[in-house]
Amino acid sequence: MNRKRALISDTFKVKKRRYGTQKFGAVSDGDGPTDIRATLEYLMTLFPRRLFNDTLPQIVLKHQLYSIHNDKTLVDKELNKLRERGELLMFQLGFDADTFGLVFASDYKAKVLAGEEGRATRATVEKFLQKLPSPCTDLSFTKDKMLREFLFTDSEITQLVKSGVLTVRDAGSWWLSIPNSGKFTKYFIQGRKAVLGMVKKSKYSEVLKAELEERRTTSHVKFHMKYHIHDIVGAELVESIPTTSGILLRFVEP
Amino acid sequence: MLGFLTARQAGLDDPLRLRRAESTRRVLSLKLNPDRDVDRIHGNGINTIDIEAIEGRYMLSGGADGVIVVYDLENYSGKLQYTCKAVCTVGRSSKYVHKFSVETVQWYPYDTGMFVSSSFDKTMKVWDTETLKPAEVFQFEGNVYSHHLSPIARKHSLIAVGTKEPKIQLCDLKSGSRIHVLQGHRAEVLSVRWSPRYEHILATASADSKVKVWDVRRASGSLFTLDQHNGDKSKASSEAVNTAHDGRVNGLCFTGDGLYLLTTGTDDRMRLWNSATGENTLVNYGKVCNESRKRLQFTVSRGCSPEFVFVPCGSSVAVYGLHTGELVTMLRGHYNNVDCCEFHPDYQELYSGGKDCNILAWVPVIRASDVEEETKSANQVQVLITGNKIWKNPKVLELLHLG
Repeated sequence: MNRKRALISDTFKVKKRRYGTQKFGAVSDGDGPTDIRATLEYLMTLFPRRLFNDTLPQIVLKHQLYSIHNDKTLVDKELNKLRERGELLMFQLGFDADTFGLVFASDYKAKVLAGEEGRATRATVEKFLQKLPSPCTDLSFTKDKMLREFLFTDSEITQLVKSGVLTVRDAGSWWLSIPNSGKFTKYFIQGRKAVLGMVKKSKYSEVLKAELEERRTTSHVKFHMKYHIHDIVGAELVESIPTTSGILLRFVEP
Repeated sequence: MLGFLTARQAGLDDPLRLRRAESTRRVLSLKLNPDRDVDRIHGNGINTIDIEAIEGRYMLSGGADGVIVVYDLENYSGKLQYTCKAVCTVGRSSKYVHKFSVETVQWYPYDTGMFVSSSFDKTMKVWDTETLKPAEVFQFEGNVYSHHLSPIARKHSLIAVGTKEPKIQLCDLKSGSRIHVLQGHRAEVLSVRWSPRYEHILATASADSKVKVWDVRRASGSLFTLDQHNGDKSKASSEAVNTAHDGRVNGLCFTGDGLYLLTTGTDDRMRLWNSATGENTLVNYGKVCNESRKRLQFTVSRGCSPEFVFVPCGSSVAVYGLHTGELVTMLRGHYNNVDCCEFHPDYQELYSGGKDCNILAWVPVIRASDVEEETKSANQVQVLITGNKIWKNPKVLELLHLG
């Protein structure tokens, strides 16, 4: 008899055993330890770099991770750990109060500096990136902080806004942002609308995930289909239902 | 489960562990039972239900037509098929019935001789259950969204009332007067709840996206306001400072021990707060659909480990793990929006009422007995596993030293 005291909740965990290598329909991810970093890297590969001529770092949205891992609280905790270690940066992308974009810190710094080559604002941006506390857990900065902690002057702050590293939030405070990300936001929202429209127009407003991935995309959808699918599933704009033929995506009325 | 039983027998485990394990198993197997029904009296949607805390036998329900019904939940017929009968009704023919929809009903916490109901006709009535006449009527200036009596109060008998006015009124049952007003909110107060742990602590939720926690003994304002970003001002826009949700906050529920507070808002989120410090525990429940313009009555299980939250979500009831935030199951059965749900802690049953005028009883599935167990006559083990009333049977409790 196992003398170790088990948690009552563990008694009710159902562990399904799969015999044989052939998997029909529903593919679930294992009960192994969740590797958020690996998932992040996989999602980063779905980001189309050449679309932006390599000027943007690879951006992943926070809720895309929820579509892969079941436990949202655990995902949040792991992301906070990565942010505290200084490896990951989180951004308020602006189109929804709840949507956050994630970029690897090293990626971000490299791309921003590359973008600033030969520009007048280069020196200020470099200074800002150096001053940025690592680990940086702040999404926005107030004027107070900029002037006192970072010792920037007003004109330098204007230069930073011009270069795109800071965006105006309201009088006297700025969001940390990714330069030239306007194009990304535009294509992303366009693509999301198009994919949602595809699901909605299907018979009964539902479509198998595998079939949706196969479909020919219109010119509105500039990103990889899988990127958009992870986004709409994670943001709970469609319901993900496991069936014997695979995962079914059903449109959810808002 | 047999492991738990053996450990309990041998004295290796605390008696409470077996009870909690069985309660949790029962909550995880909640289903609609064709044998259990609740009498259909309401002609319109059901807005609120309350099960009395003393015996767990009588249930009150308030409907959108102003009708209040008292049901008897106990099954003394000896048959499996049972309909919870309505014992008495304050119907449309009564002289004292509410003119408009009843929003909240609550039993007096200490005996079933009295109950309090509040309604959109701007009154709150304290009823005598025997005669079904109101013993006291409180008039207000705006629609009354919610009221609550403290379930543990010994030193006071205050009813906290949330109305369309931003001020929270405290009415005294003993003297019948409005003795206290709590100021601080800027919009209508949608939900009020006393803490089940401290009799002076009150939590209130308002349409101005704020949730405030008050100590009624204190003359100056609230103790603290719940902040969803935990003071991290960089996360949100500056108007959203100190808000519990990004929309109206319309549901409040303390956990059974009073240590945590759950809030739901029209931003489709549910948040779990530490009720002592006001800190957001950041448990992510995902999208909890919420379109209610009034108070949302949701409930937390008691006596299980881990605890579960039952939230009405559209036309079904969603069951989430309290601390993990994962969706355990969706209880589907209503034909229209579900407005309220209440957990019966003794039998681990859930009662939910909605716009389809039905109250549905979700009963734990009884494990089917095996062939060998059926042939044995007075088999105590069988009775333990298949009987669902056994935990209340004093003889068995005495035998197991669980009482």
